[in-house]
Amino acid sequence: MRKLKLSMGVLAIAFAALTVMSCKDNKKEHDDSDGHHTEMDSEVNHMEMKNESEEHHHEDADDEHDGGSAAESRDIKVSTQKNAATSAIIDGYLQIKNGLVADNKDNAAKGGTALLAAFSNFDMSQLNEEQHKSYMDIVEDAKEQAEHIVKSPIDHQREHFETLSTDISDLIALLGTDKTLYQDYCPMKKVSWLSETKDIKNPFFGSEMLTCGSVKKQIN
Amino acid sequence: MKIVKIIVLVLLVVFVGIQFVPTVHNQSERTPKADFMLVNDVPKDVKNKLQISCYDCHSNNTQYPWYSKIQPGAWFMENHIKNGKEELNFNEWDTYSNRRKKSKLKSIINQIKDDEMPLSSYTLIHRDAKLSENEKKEMIQFMKQLRDSL
Repeated sequence: MRKLKLSMGVLAIAFAALTVMSCKDNKKEHDDSDGHHTEMDSEVNHMEMKNESEEHHHEDADDEHDGGSAAESRDIKVSTQKNAATSAIIDGYLQIKNGLVADNKDNAAKGGTALLAAFSNFDMSQLNEEQHKSYMDIVEDAKEQAEHIVKSPIDHQREHFETLSTDISDLIALLGTDKTLYQDYCPMKKVSWLSETKDIKNPFFGSEMLTCGSVKKQIN
Repeated sequence: MKIVKIIVLVLLVVFVGIQFVPTVHNQSERTPKADFMLVNDVPKDVKNKLQISCYDCHSNNTQYPWYSKIQPGAWFMENHIKNGKEELNFNEWDTYSNRRKKSKLKSIINQIKDDEMPLSSYTLIHRDAKLSENEKKEMIQFMKQLRDSL
């Protein structure tokens, strides 16, 4: 009998708690101020975007393939301006690439961490206004890819590496490098990547298809 | 026998206790101008499916199911929504740069194609959020088209 009372009591408490919970529901969060914020942001961005599309009409040679690069807007010149400031960024990128070539998820992730550090250590004071804008645009996206590479399984890392490759090559086209690099092309993925060695070592499939691809361009 | 009863009782008390832990509700009455469906010309079928299958976690407005009103379901939901919005918030679509739009679209396409999204833990209860092969195709085709137009 006592036990019955006890369990009835517990049930009553449970019921009361649920009622409290459902009352709380009515006090939904009205993030009006937040909504406002977003609207303003979007307007500002609209204007920026317009400027940008006027600046470079890019020719997407590789539409219709979902493997295609995310925003191919710049071509790297065969001889870029000699800029050592981008070295740490490129090193981080290459570390990811070499991790993926070796099917080593952890090393790729370490490269992602190194890349993120390189971005935060980058000295933006040397950029002019227009470079700065383009740099921010590229890096915002590249950081997101790097963050995913840090925390994802390897097939996911490779997906983000595709987008990252476009970002980094755009960055080199923008700012230059003093390194000698090779721009390689993967016909399976229909994307390019950058390498420090002339030999093809394909990061998108690792040991499965290590030598698939071709050198498109030697830089510097 | 007694031990079992004590355990059940303790579990009950814990269950009741956690009901008092507050959660943040992801709801807003206004759709920002930057919303994906407002800035893009989205076909009706895709629109519907996006709303049902994606917007619960990838927008500022969640249609809460019954189990989200009871802990620990609410925590589970809250966490998913937080992560989901961090990755992609359709309500803020137009605040992304063109470059980011393209890489988001690429990720959207890959996630749908690989059946990673919508999450299987989500479609387990939300049966209607599941994408059929046809719906997948339709959605992917639209996203590709949109990406190429950027």
